[in-house]
Amino acid sequence: MKMEEKVVEELKNILGNLGEVWIQREKRVYAKVPKNLVLPLLAFLKDKGFHQLTAITCVDWLKKGKFELIYNLFSLNYEGVHVFIKTELERDKETMPSAIEIFPMAFDYEREIHEMFGIVFEGHPRLDNFILEDWDGPPPMRKDFDTAKYVEEKYGVKDYAEELWRRREQPYREEKDE
Amino acid sequence: MGLFKISQGRSLWMVHFCTGCGAVEMPPTMTSRFDMERFGVAPMATPRQADVLLITGYLTVKTLKRVIMVYEQMPTPKYVIGFGSCTVNGGIYWDSYNVIKNLELYIPVDLYIFGCMPRPESIIDAFLKLRKMIEEGKANKWKDYIERYDWYKQNQAKLFDVNKWRVQK
Repeated sequence: MKMEEKVVEELKNILGNLGEVWIQREKRVYAKVPKNLVLPLLAFLKDKGFHQLTAITCVDWLKKGKFELIYNLFSLNYEGVHVFIKTELERDKETMPSAIEIFPMAFDYEREIHEMFGIVFEGHPRLDNFILEDWDGPPPMRKDFDTAKYVEEKYGVKDYAEELWRRREQPYREEKDE
Repeated sequence: MGLFKISQGRSLWMVHFCTGCGAVEMPPTMTSRFDMERFGVAPMATPRQADVLLITGYLTVKTLKRVIMVYEQMPTPKYVIGFGSCTVNGGIYWDSYNVIKNLELYIPVDLYIFGCMPRPESIIDAFLKLRKMIEEGKANKWKDYIERYDWYKQNQAKLFDVNKWRVQK
């Protein structure tokens, strides 16, 4: 029996009908669960030997109106199998409970996701500016964030192609000495 | 062209302040292959003893604050070289939300080096051009920063709070 199948079996035993579990490819096991089951599942997997939370990823599904959070767990005890726990949140409405008490390294991941996507993590002690100092705009990694418009307003850059055409018509000349 | 200007142009000390990806071009320029020290250009660890500030690549708003702080600490006369296309118009970061597009709006720039990346030859070429400009008395953009201080501060204030910001200890 392969190690992936063992992990899938363990997950299926504990989840039952509450979530989907499948093998994406070699050494990649996925589980899709509702929001309230994420933290119990993380605690369960930590007990089983998945000690490392490698990353928390966020995907913005604009047309569906959902944010998808993916918790990436890794373990050497299971021959290097990764477990990805997926969950979906309603855009702009739902909050997510923080995973700090189970995995302390979630502190920075959650803080970054809050900054880049604007998801509020309940119970997180410090959700202020992280990488972007003095940021005043909307969260920049959202799909509905208009980068070109923001850049034009903040940095005063006009249409780049138009500017190039204008320069081609008036080629650069060396300044004369005063 | 006085003796003072000639000697000034032949002993340029550069702040060892590397931003962005252009910093990878500095080691070959400093070391024996291209050896910029034969033109009197040497890296310097502190801004207080330096003449040239080389902006090697893109600047985020966060780095720009540090650059301005370094620039204001340098004694006059001081010169700034913008390195790579990122300092001219943002380069490949032309639509990035956190990278400044035109360095000239925030600190005065004497000379630009084009390219992405510029070769070490073009860095040395830029230093020779700067030497020529110093000897002819053309490299005096640092006076512009004193004369139009309010204008520069006004541009910087669009990105961050100029008065409030301090380096955190």
